[in-house]
Amino acid sequence: MPEPLLRTEALTRRFGALAALDEVSLEFEEGRVHAVIGPNGAGKSTFLNLLSGELRATQGRVRFRGLDVTRATPDELSRLGIGRSYQTANLFPELSCADCAWLAAQSRLPSSMRFLRPAERYAEVGDRAARALEVCGLSGRRPALAGQLSYGEQRQLEIAMMLATEPTLLLLDEPLAGLGHDEALRVVALLTEVARGRTVILVEHDMEAVFSISDTVTVLVDGRVLEKGSPDQVRNSAAVREAYLGEEIA
Amino acid sequence: MTRRILLLAGALALGAVAFSGDRFWLQFLGKAMIGCILAMSLDLLVGFTGLVSLAHSAFFGLAAYALAGVTNRLGLVNPLLTFPVCLLAAAAAALIIGWLSLRATGVYFIMVTLAFTQMLFYLFNDSPALGGSDGLYVSQRPVDSRAAAYVAIWAALVLAYLLLARILRAPYGRALEGIRGNEQRMRSLGYPTRRYKLVAFVIAGTLAGVAGYLDATLYGFVNPAQLGWRQSGLILVTVLLGGKGTLYGPALGALLLAFIEHYGERVTEHWNALIAALIIGVVLFLPRGLAGLVQGGRRA
Repeated sequence: MPEPLLRTEALTRRFGALAALDEVSLEFEEGRVHAVIGPNGAGKSTFLNLLSGELRATQGRVRFRGLDVTRATPDELSRLGIGRSYQTANLFPELSCADCAWLAAQSRLPSSMRFLRPAERYAEVGDRAARALEVCGLSGRRPALAGQLSYGEQRQLEIAMMLATEPTLLLLDEPLAGLGHDEALRVVALLTEVARGRTVILVEHDMEAVFSISDTVTVLVDGRVLEKGSPDQVRNSAAVREAYLGEEIA
Repeated sequence: MTRRILLLAGALALGAVAFSGDRFWLQFLGKAMIGCILAMSLDLLVGFTGLVSLAHSAFFGLAAYALAGVTNRLGLVNPLLTFPVCLLAAAAAALIIGWLSLRATGVYFIMVTLAFTQMLFYLFNDSPALGGSDGLYVSQRPVDSRAAAYVAIWAALVLAYLLLARILRAPYGRALEGIRGNEQRMRSLGYPTRRYKLVAFVIAGTLAGVAGYLDATLYGFVNPAQLGWRQSGLILVTVLLGGKGTLYGPALGALLLAFIEHYGERVTEHWNALIAALIIGVVLFLPRGLAGLVQGGRRA
């Protein structure tokens, strides 16, 4: 069996006495879409924040391509090829769409400590930003300020910025949260497109979307792995039904 | 476009004053242009990076004291030698103070820079060997004539503006803009933001050192008040008055303040109250400072 792209080994994060994530060992194979679901407080966000370096693990390890990245900082992880999008829009509200995507694309220069040549002459950066905006359907919104976009568009820009960093592994934090029906449909279509051929870890509440997009599903409850398997296995699991008692599954 | 023409005309007019040979104007405008360099370099931090530093006067003062030191003690006068040495002193101080201060963020960063400035102030103020509260004379100035000093200041101002404008258009400047907007997001996009901020801090501190060196050259004198926190506060006010994040705005602010200080003194001994009223007015009604008037509705 090939080495998975990302592997967690007994990954644990405690907040005081509470183990938000408790010895979670998972493997994420390359080229597949892995969903992580679970009720509120199950540890999904904690899990994602540990993977993107925004939180430090209390115990356990994270290996990316076999490399121990448990102690890596967010900027190091980004440069290694782990990109993430945020649940609540985390943009540059005073910058235009084009500039937001530009900053993301520029981060792939070997260094941005470049002081003399005007930024716009770095054609490859502009191309990368333009491609990401196009994939996300924002080509027509380039001059619009990020802070003035609609909720759905902000989510599209989130994803565009992540794509502009050309990540190997995509971490998506509830990309559909708070979206209206039409906006959600548009973002699901975008996610389906983005997920093709890429490795994705998707944290999401919207079950319908999760089961339609994902290759594997992991269910977290109280910081532990309750179940993992194909969407069908998880959908039919008695344990999962019990955990979600009263909640609708697909 | 009109802005560029205005800036060019202003720069040429200031340069032309060098030929007047008028003692008063050379000294007065020379001092005002030093204020412009200070305000523009602080704008790199306050306006473009979102870092409010109260250590700016420290680098100004250190370079000025460095000139007095190398001239009086080592007998060095030649500007080709003293200029780089004094800049290096300011840059090294900025590197150390910046490296330590940038471990803190927000209001804590401001407090740490303030603490360093105060530390240096008392170091010079209380050490007889460093001139104490009276300060030090520079025994022989790097350039003798006032006109030559004026031209050097003018050239430094023009070059500092061009350098900063250039940096801000480059990828590095874009990264600073991103850090000002959302530092956490910049980190998650792969930018080691603290390193970027430290470099900005050192560039700004070195330019403040240029200003300090020129000031000691123009006056042949340094005193500890120049590196105290009041001085830093005044530079900060200049930036806000002129319009942070515009580069030329803070320079305009420095010129305006110099004129108010000079002519206000003739009108009333309470000219400080005039300045205070002006600042309150600008902050309330012109959130983008004087530059907001020049620019109209557009963004830089």
